[in-house]
Amino acid sequence: MKPLGAGTVFAPRESAIEALAEAAPARNRVRFLALGIFAVLLLLAGRAVQLALSGDPLAEPRRVAIAATPRADIVDRNGVLLATTLRAYVLTATPSRVWNAAETAAALHRVFPDLDRAATVRRLSDRSRQLVYLRRSLSEGERAQVHELGLAGIGFEAENRRVYPQGAMAAHVLGFTDIDLNPLAGVERGLDAQIRAAGEAGRTVRLSLDVRIQYALETELDAAARAAGASSAAGVLLDARTGEALALASWPRFNANDAGAASDTVRRDRVAGDVHELGSTIKPFTVAMALQEQVTSSGELFDLSQPFDIDGHVIEDHQPIRGLASLRDILARSSNVGAARLALRLGAARQRTYLERLGLTQPARLELGYNEAPLAPRTRGRRDVAGLGFGYGLAATPAALAGAYTVFANQGAVVAPTLIARAPDAEVERRQVFTPDVTRQVLSYLRAAVVDGTGRAADVSGLAVAGKTGTAEKWGAQSGYDDSRNFSSFAGVFPAHDPRYVIVVALDDTREGAAGGAVAAPVVARTLRRIAPMLGLRLEPGPAAR
Amino acid sequence: MDKALLRRGFYAVAALIIAALAVGLYKAKTDAARTDAHVRRLQQQIEQSEADLRALRAEIAELESPARIEALAEDRLGVTVGSESAVLPEAALARRLPPPRPQRRDE
Repeated sequence: MKPLGAGTVFAPRESAIEALAEAAPARNRVRFLALGIFAVLLLLAGRAVQLALSGDPLAEPRRVAIAATPRADIVDRNGVLLATTLRAYVLTATPSRVWNAAETAAALHRVFPDLDRAATVRRLSDRSRQLVYLRRSLSEGERAQVHELGLAGIGFEAENRRVYPQGAMAAHVLGFTDIDLNPLAGVERGLDAQIRAAGEAGRTVRLSLDVRIQYALETELDAAARAAGASSAAGVLLDARTGEALALASWPRFNANDAGAASDTVRRDRVAGDVHELGSTIKPFTVAMALQEQVTSSGELFDLSQPFDIDGHVIEDHQPIRGLASLRDILARSSNVGAARLALRLGAARQRTYLERLGLTQPARLELGYNEAPLAPRTRGRRDVAGLGFGYGLAATPAALAGAYTVFANQGAVVAPTLIARAPDAEVERRQVFTPDVTRQVLSYLRAAVVDGTGRAADVSGLAVAGKTGTAEKWGAQSGYDDSRNFSSFAGVFPAHDPRYVIVVALDDTREGAAGGAVAAPVVARTLRRIAPMLGLRLEPGPAAR
Repeated sequence: MDKALLRRGFYAVAALIIAALAVGLYKAKTDAARTDAHVRRLQQQIEQSEADLRALRAEIAELESPARIEALAEDRLGVTVGSESAVLPEAALARRLPPPRPQRRDE
């Protein structure tokens, strides 16, 4: 068999030649296509050679990422670490790979004595589950201990753990998170969005607190609260010019690293979370309002020797002032009768307006996640107006009181307290309440209250403290005001010749006779002796602090 | 030049290019994978170092906490809060300070 006939191949006919001529353009197209493919291949080859020889092609676009954390570190105003996120581990088990559940549980129990052995055996024996979680928040050391046991089926997963290196210090301010780092209280909750954003960016969140001052205030408050048998206590120290809180202390204390072990009562923030009738620490505002509204003058003298009867309700002073009394005497000797008279001259409307402008009728704006709203009902009669004049009928937080006292350091303007460290050139929002003249006048009365009035125990040689004591009887549900239970406080500013700082100390549920001048004022003096050098203030040598 | 020879040469060059392409791509891919693994390793090291650093910072903060420093000062130096050693008269302070530094001409 011949595959091709001779005539077919070697002797083309005319029709075949014509066909070839017709196919020529198609062949040209194929050639162009081939050239095109060749050009593309050449390009690809060139790029491949370039990639092969020009070093790491991934080096350019990939950057070394900053180690991001789910929550940023929190530091004090000087950069001292207050809260951080550390690597921790979850202890896991794969039941199908565990050889002997009882022995494994026993070995783990030796490392973690509080681990429920029976429950662990049960979980390790549950072959229906692929993975079980046995324990969370293991430290690096605990992980190493378990690792050394060489237990089959036991493993680890990395997670994050929130740690507070200062322990109990500033625990109420910092707050805490749950095991999944969800914020539950304090700054952790109040500044949650900022903390998360800063964590992603690898930055820190800087608070206005100063740990040295915080420690001094907490230590002194702790000692005083124990000595006075108080149920709770609070301390505030503000830079009044900027509103920055340098220290916020609550008592009783708890360790933020073990917040679950403390009760709700202990974990409660007393600075912005508790409201109390403030008592006589309100009186300076009553005097300032009266001067501002010109319903009195610095030269006026009052006869305060007799109790004051208002619609059948008698107001009297603990130690009545004999003879004529000036405004200075009303504050220095804490006269309820004098403050009530001034309040009545003002009237309810004006009194309310000033209290609102001082920020005493709204919750403070501290970044603590929760600020308790004050109990500030509208006054309904002369008796209410008079009572409000010396601190009854309005319950506010120590934070709000400290905010109001900033007027004495800002020539009559109030500055809201904050926990965020401000830049030196940051603009501070001020709200004018009193004129500088009125403020200066009242400031001199507050100094008198410390020099020779009820606040003598707050005096610190060389520091010129000016302030007012407060002793408010506690309200009992059935018995009315109970004179055996007090809310004892001191609120003041220093140094009096050029006030810059506000300090408030308050102890709740102190015993009968434990007046603010006796239990709160000494805390102020002891604290200021300790912290004055930290604030750049000079003390004069005097008696030892204790 | 003979067309068939030209075509063969073309095929040979194309084959060479394809081979070079394949080798080049393989090399690029393996280099990239190796680099990627290296970068991952470095990343892990950085993360571990960062975690260690964070733990060390926390430990330093704990060791430098005012409560611990105060306890150490009391225990080892006998300095107590509010003691005479903490608040000194100016004269006593001057005695404890080093003598004044002599003033230089350019100061």
